[in-house]
Amino acid sequence: MKIFRSHILLCGGTGCQASGSLTVKKALLQELDKKHLADEIKVVETGCNGFCALGPIMVVYPEGIIYISVKAADIPELVEEHLIKGRVLGRLLYHEPSTDKVIPTMQDIPFFALQELRVLRNRGLIDPEKLEEYIARDGYAGMAKALTEMKPEEIVSEVLNSGLRGRGGAGFPTGLKWKFAAQSKSDIKYVLCNADEGDPGAFMDRSVLEADPHSVLEGMVIAAKAIGSKQGYIYCRAEYPLAIHRLNIAIGQAKEAGLLGKNILGTGFDFDLEIYQGAGAFVCGEETALMTSIEGKRGMPRPRPPFPAVAGLWQKPSILNNVETLANVGQIILRGAKWYASVGTEKSKGTKVFALTGDVNNVGLVEVPMGTSLGTIVYDIGGGIPKEKKFKAAQLGGPSGGMIPIQHLNAPIDYEKVVELGAIMGSGGLIVMNEDKCAVDMARFFMDFCQDESCGKCTPCREGTKRMLDILTNITKGKGKEGDIELLEEMAGVIKNAALCGLGQTAPNPVLSTIRYFRNEYEDHIRNHRCRATVCSALFKSPCQHTCPIEMDIPSYIALVRAGRFEDAYKILLQTNPFPSVCGRVCDHKCQTKCRRGNMDEPLAIKFLKRFITDNAPRPKVDPVPVTRKEKVAVVGAGPSGLTAARDLALRGYKVVVFEELPFAGGMLRWGIPAYRLPRNILDGEIDTIKALGIEIKLNTRVGRDISFANIEKDFDFIYLACGAHKSQKMNVPGEDLKNVYGGVEFLRDFNANEEKWLKGEKQLGKKVAVVGGGNSAIDAARVALRLGADVTILYRRLRQDMPAAEEEIKAAEDEGIKIEYLVAPLRIEGTKGKVSSVSCQRMKLGDYDNSGRKKPVAVAGSEFTLNIDTIIAAIGQVPDMSFVDAASKIEVKRDCLVVGNVYKSRTRNIRYFAGGDAVTGPDTVIAAIAAGHQAADDIDTSIRKANGEPAYEKPAEEKIDVPLVIDEETVEAPQMPMPEMESALRKAGFAEVELGFTKEDAMKEACRCLRCDAEL
Amino acid sequence: MKAEDSELLKEFTTEQVAKLDEIIKKHKSKPGGLIPVLEEAQIALEYLPISVQKKIAAGLNLPLSRVYGVVTFYSFFTMTPRGKHTVRVCLGTACYVRGGKAIADTLKKEFGIEEGETTPDRMFTLETVRCLGACGLGPVIVVDEEVHGRVKPSKVKEILAQYT
Amino acid sequence: MAKLTIDDLKKIKEKVHSEMALREGDRRVKITVHMGTCGIASGAREVMDTLLTEIEAAQVTDVFVTTSGCMGLCSREPLVTVEILNQDPIKYEYMNPNKMRQVFKRHVLEGEIQTPFVLAKGAEKTK
Repeated sequence: MKIFRSHILLCGGTGCQASGSLTVKKALLQELDKKHLADEIKVVETGCNGFCALGPIMVVYPEGIIYISVKAADIPELVEEHLIKGRVLGRLLYHEPSTDKVIPTMQDIPFFALQELRVLRNRGLIDPEKLEEYIARDGYAGMAKALTEMKPEEIVSEVLNSGLRGRGGAGFPTGLKWKFAAQSKSDIKYVLCNADEGDPGAFMDRSVLEADPHSVLEGMVIAAKAIGSKQGYIYCRAEYPLAIHRLNIAIGQAKEAGLLGKNILGTGFDFDLEIYQGAGAFVCGEETALMTSIEGKRGMPRPRPPFPAVAGLWQKPSILNNVETLANVGQIILRGAKWYASVGTEKSKGTKVFALTGDVNNVGLVEVPMGTSLGTIVYDIGGGIPKEKKFKAAQLGGPSGGMIPIQHLNAPIDYEKVVELGAIMGSGGLIVMNEDKCAVDMARFFMDFCQDESCGKCTPCREGTKRMLDILTNITKGKGKEGDIELLEEMAGVIKNAALCGLGQTAPNPVLSTIRYFRNEYEDHIRNHRCRATVCSALFKSPCQHTCPIEMDIPSYIALVRAGRFEDAYKILLQTNPFPSVCGRVCDHKCQTKCRRGNMDEPLAIKFLKRFITDNAPRPKVDPVPVTRKEKVAVVGAGPSGLTAARDLALRGYKVVVFEELPFAGGMLRWGIPAYRLPRNILDGEIDTIKALGIEIKLNTRVGRDISFANIEKDFDFIYLACGAHKSQKMNVPGEDLKNVYGGVEFLRDFNANEEKWLKGEKQLGKKVAVVGGGNSAIDAARVALRLGADVTILYRRLRQDMPAAEEEIKAAEDEGIKIEYLVAPLRIEGTKGKVSSVSCQRMKLGDYDNSGRKKPVAVAGSEFTLNIDTIIAAIGQVPDMSFVDAASKIEVKRDCLVVGNVYKSRTRNIRYFAGGDAVTGPDTVIAAIAAGHQAADDIDTSIRKANGEPAYEKPAEEKIDVPLVIDEETVEAPQMPMPEMESALRKAGFAEVELGFTKEDAMKEACRCLRCDAEL
Repeated sequence: MKAEDSELLKEFTTEQVAKLDEIIKKHKSKPGGLIPVLEEAQIALEYLPISVQKKIAAGLNLPLSRVYGVVTFYSFFTMTPRGKHTVRVCLGTACYVRGGKAIADTLKKEFGIEEGETTPDRMFTLETVRCLGACGLGPVIVVDEEVHGRVKPSKVKEILAQYT
Repeated sequence: MAKLTIDDLKKIKEKVHSEMALREGDRRVKITVHMGTCGIASGAREVMDTLLTEIEAAQVTDVFVTTSGCMGLCSREPLVTVEILNQDPIKYEYMNPNKMRQVFKRHVLEGEIQTPFVLAKGAEKTK
């Protein structure tokens, strides 16, 4: 026996080989030779270790240090540092994506630590081409026990009692299958192993065959003894050359060692087996089709009964088990049914291997107890979704499976639960999809797969899948019709019932499951020709434009910036957006989340380019529009929604008057957003342009107080209610009525209305300020308080990544010196002499997932602590204030919001009143408010014209602006142009704008990064 | 050399034909030997035109229709000659959600051919496959036996250059 | 390979298992051979070879050997640290194959610190 001081286990699975592990191995062996370490250090090539995305993976024992993405060029340094000097080489260690922590040892990486390895217990730990190493880890001990100590019936009942169910998909109890075959009378019986892993996205069988092939052979011998078989086949797909190679080696070794063949282990039991290579047909994964294929025919399924246990391969009793099932068997026999059943759920025992892929940080193979929650697999083991995208759904069970959406992250994954949710366990392919995946397109993709792989034997599957695919394809191309969804459901039902085999019966599953959870996306495609994930490209010009709520022509104005034609670019902005310089500063820019450039490096800085245009080109002049129509419209609220509607209506020739309670127009843009983000002169400029159309704004006029509804109804024909959401939500803790307790928006409004008094110190917050909440207004309130000289702490009950505030705002707050306490919630506010003196808080921890996919905060008992403060600002959300609405008006109010949708999207139950913006939706974005304003203006105008029997409004022809199309031949990766900012030390001194704007050179360079997805070539 | 091989010899070398004889002989006595024969024959002869199928049918004592049926059923078999290199783009789910489609489009554009076709210079045959089990590295393309992971459209040219 | 019997299986398991034990985690004793340039120049390599041979001969599986870089005490090389679980580490100075054999047999296997060779007891303080 040779003792080595260190063993280096290098993954040689398909994934790591593709990433270059064989070159690494060669370099390692050479380097060890060179440094005369070959006698001290042993190099072992293992099978797949499961962490495929970060390959090649190398683990150095005895320390158990794991190195990832190792390249041949790293080897000399690694040998020098780790093996000679004994220092861990930091730069090749694993970084936890969510915390960016470095984790050197394998057992501490959550991906490995949270798994329970049974099937994969030897992965990355043994050399799969060495029989001895398998034996050293209890290999063939289960088989020895079965052959010497157990009768066939005992084996069957042990497997039956273990609760093991078929891991290939259907979950039929393995012991029962064996029992039936054992009862069949025949001289010849077959044990078959299904290694035709055809589900795209599943690779656990490949991994087992590559990493631990003997475990499958052992399971087959035990099965053979149980049913009385002497011959077996392993049906392996030809796409897995390495698995076949390792299987061949293992079979050769086992035969030579007397573990296969005649008189196994001297017990007198004979069993031989052969590998049969599949030739690429998904349907051959189906039990009877696989048998037909081994018989040398076209792999078509045959009707059951007779079941294979009675008449299978060559009409002889046969059992077919999948690789993962068989790999469990040796352990069950050795350690007993009770041990096996000790983990899992009531009806699903043991562990399940999942192939975790798609939009997830830690792609790889994951073995967990049955009943582990989807959230644990995706977030705790999988490390969450890359690029801070949102989880949409996980496809479980391959093309025959279904999607499990975000609201079921807490679901314990076992056979029963998965079926209840509309998916199937299948072989355990778990494909994570982020928000950028379209449900309809995914359904089309899976249907295309099934249609392509349909063997054509039975009509429902052959023709039905084709028809369903046609309908789905039409929907993704914008040619969907009302009734298509119902037709799909009906056809799905027919195919499910009438198809001959599993492939056909399950083919409609992805369609049914996407309709179940994402029906609104189907409807959006059919009715609005909208694909919110911006996947179905036939429905739109460019993803950014399609994502913008007002469909701004982003590619055009960016192309004009590139061409240096800033004035023309400005005209394009104003075609859809009355507030481009506001949006260039404070828009939440959802367009950028769908920018195709983001898939390559980083999205375009669309928002900053928009701002650049308005900062650098003269604002196009506006002339008053003559009033040409007799109907008059009143708008309540001079915020972005009200002013947009007023502008659109004025442009259509209506007389419009806007009523505003506060002393200045602008709504939340003025009262909620601080000047360092949106300078007042910028906002005023936009409002002045709107007023210039001939719109009158009556300030200091609250409808229902300063002017009655009756009067308004007398003077105006239609009324648009866009009064926003200006009331902070209460925290509902004791002490909220003390002095110096503010609501977030109330504080900001007070500051903006009385800026001079605050700056002179006539109004004061005190030294220490606590802000509660994690949204943009919490950050705004905190940054204003900081500028007033306070020491500010934000209290948030979840974690940073859960904050609804924009990332750049959070970062700015941190840079400026604001402290943020996470996982903290206020319990009560204490005061002396009616004024706040402290706040008692408690710590939170994260529990189950909520419907938004975030973990719910749960109080930690006994974690109370007190913060001494002078002021507390509660910015945990706003609600509209609907106290002015007259009950007699018939306008419906639900949960503090106005209800619309009476024939027109924006009309209330009273047909003279329309409503939109935050007053309807609750707090939302500026751009959503502008979109609502457009909608309301169009609805009001259309309803008037309809009632008058006039033709629909036709927009006057706009000035034709020629947009150049210049596309670079080669796209070179380059990050987004950063926005220059004022130094954080200077910011606290005042309210000057923090973001300084692009220079001309910056802007034109940034514009060149646009990939021009809108171009039709 | 037998007379009935003359048709085969128009397309294949004597060694290839001899190898085919050997393959047929090896599997002749086994039940279900047809698919292994076809698999090995395709490796030796690169493709399986009717002339080859006829010979296999005769050798295994099967009707030609049965051989033809099997060849056309399984995607592994091909009846037309192939390029020197086979480029297979994975369009399995994991690769699809990570941008496999864009890679396939880039390759089609690069070669000027459709899926299943061979470039006029017979250098490359383009195929799409459903999952190679290397999902951790998606999107994946396989050139001959070599797997290339995390492929981006901009990297396609670079990869192909290694084979020309 | 000859045909195996059940007994053979057990024998292979025991033999290979001890060889692979390194990959399984907790050890009773950790021995560090300091192998900076100076250590190697003054014979650390021979000390390491001796140690590995001794472990092999003793058929123990609860000892693991590792290396580290120069300790900064070049004049006293070769240095070896023996760390028995839950005990203070002991550093031995001026090691050679003979001393290594003695330390292994007496200290590692029998627990008796070989005081004449000891440089220091306890770990270095790190900040």
